[in-house]
Amino acid sequence: MDYAIEAKDHESIVRLRGRLTFNDHAKLRTLITEMQGSKGKRQILDLGNLEFVDSAGIGMLLIAHEEMGNADKQLVLRGAAGQVKRVLSVAQLGKIVTVED
Amino acid sequence: MAFDWRTHKDTVPPQHAVGAGTADRGDASTGAAPDSRVNLDYGLLATWMGFADVQRRTLEAIQGELSRTSDHVEDATLDLSGRFRELAESALDQSRRVEEIVAMAGSVAIDGERVPLDELVTHMQDMIAEMISNIVQLSMRAMSMVYLLDDVQKDVSELEKSIGDIDAINRQTNFLALNATIEASRAGEAGRTFAVVAQEVRHLSRTTSELADRMRSKVTAVVKGVRHGHDILRDIANTDMSPQMLAKERVDKTMESLVQQTAHFQAVLETAATSSSDMSQTIGHMVTRMQFQDLTKQRLEAVNDSLSIIAAGLEDLENRTRDGMPAHHLDAPIPQEWLNNLLERFKLSEMRQRFVRKLLLEGSALDEHGALDVGVPTDESPSDDIELF
Repeated sequence: MDYAIEAKDHESIVRLRGRLTFNDHAKLRTLITEMQGSKGKRQILDLGNLEFVDSAGIGMLLIAHEEMGNADKQLVLRGAAGQVKRVLSVAQLGKIVTVED
Repeated sequence: MAFDWRTHKDTVPPQHAVGAGTADRGDASTGAAPDSRVNLDYGLLATWMGFADVQRRTLEAIQGELSRTSDHVEDATLDLSGRFRELAESALDQSRRVEEIVAMAGSVAIDGERVPLDELVTHMQDMIAEMISNIVQLSMRAMSMVYLLDDVQKDVSELEKSIGDIDAINRQTNFLALNATIEASRAGEAGRTFAVVAQEVRHLSRTTSELADRMRSKVTAVVKGVRHGHDILRDIANTDMSPQMLAKERVDKTMESLVQQTAHFQAVLETAATSSSDMSQTIGHMVTRMQFQDLTKQRLEAVNDSLSIIAAGLEDLENRTRDGMPAHHLDAPIPQEWLNNLLERFKLSEMRQRFVRKLLLEGSALDEHGALDVGVPTDESPSDDIELF
C-alpha cells in the first residue's frame, strides 16, 4: 500500500493505493501519527484506488478512527469501490466510522 | 322392410285381395266366386296369424333386451357411482394433506417450536452480522496488541542494552578496585584500611556482575517470550477473515432465495389444494348426475309395460282369430326367408342369438343361425361390453 497526503487548513485528504493488509501495519502507524500532527479537523481517507483490504486492514482503519477521536479529529472513509466497498458494507463499518461515497 | 315373404302369392291375384272387391263387384250371386274368396281369406289370415306370432315373440324379445339393457346400465351406474365416490374421498384426502403441507411449509421446527421461515432467516442474518462485528472488533484489538508489542519489543531491546551498560560500568569498577588494591599495598601500613575498602569494592562489583548476569538471563527469557508472542499475534492478525465476512453476501442471497422458493411452493400447493377440493366437488356433482339412471330405468319399464299391453292385445286377437278358424287352416307357413333376411341384419351376434331362440325356438332356422351350435353367452360375459362398442 502507498499513500499521498494533501493537507489543507481544515482537512487533509489521504489517497491510498494498492492493497491494505497486515504487512502495512508499520506504514499505517506512521500515517496515523502524520494525520494526528496535521492541522485539519477532517481527515479524509480516499479509498478510490484501494484494490483490497483484509480484516487486519479493517482493524487498522478502526484504530485510526479511535486515534483521530483521541486527537479531536474526525476520520472519513471516502469513495470505496469493489472488494473494499463490499467488506466495509458487510462489516457495517458505517455504524462506527463516517463512510462517504 | 319391403321384403315379401309370402310363399303362395301366385295363387292370390291382387284383384281378389281380402275385402277389396266385395262392394264394387256385381257378380256376388254367381256362387263360385264367394267360395274361392273364403278359401283365400283363410290362407291370408293364417299367414297373418303366423306374423302375429312372430310379432309377439319379437315384442317379448325386445322387452327382454330392454330389461337386460336397463340392468346393464344400472350395474354400471352403481359401479361408477361407487368409484366416483372413492375418487371424491381420495381428492378430499389429498386436499387435506396438501393443506397440511402448506401449513408446515412456511415454518421450521426448532426444539419443538414452530418458527416462521422469514423470522428464522432474519435471526440467522442477525447472528452472522454479530459474528462479523466480532471479527472486526477482534481484528482491531489484535492490531492494537501488535502495536503494543512492537513498543514492548523496543523497550526490551533498550533493557538489554542497559544491562550491557551495567556490565561495562562493572568492569570499570572492578579495574579501579584492582588498581586501588595495588596502590594500597604500595602505601604499606598506611594503606591497609584502604586495601580493605578496595577489596570490598571488588566484592561489590562481583555481586553486581552476578546480578547483571541474572537480569540478563531473565530479560533474555522475557525477550524470547515477547518475540514468540509477537509472532503468534502477527499470525493471528495476518489471518485474513475478509472472505468469511464476504460469505455473508452469499448467505444472504441463499436465504432470500430460500424464502422466495418456499413462498412459491406454498402458492403452488395452495392452488393444488384448491384444485383437489374442486375436483372432489365436481365428482360429487357427477355422482348426483348419475341418478339419471333411475329415470332411464323408469322409462324403460314404462316402455316395457306398453310393449306388454301391445303383446297382450296381439295374443288376444290371435286367440280369437284361431278360435274362429277351421282347424286345417291353422298350420300357417313360417316366413322363413323373411326371418332369415331380418336376422342377418342384426349387428350384435349375441343379441341375434337371443332373437333366434325367441323367434324360432321350434323352427328349422335354428341351425342356420347357430343358436344350437353356439352357447348363448351369459349376461356377465365380458364379450358383451366389448361388442357393444
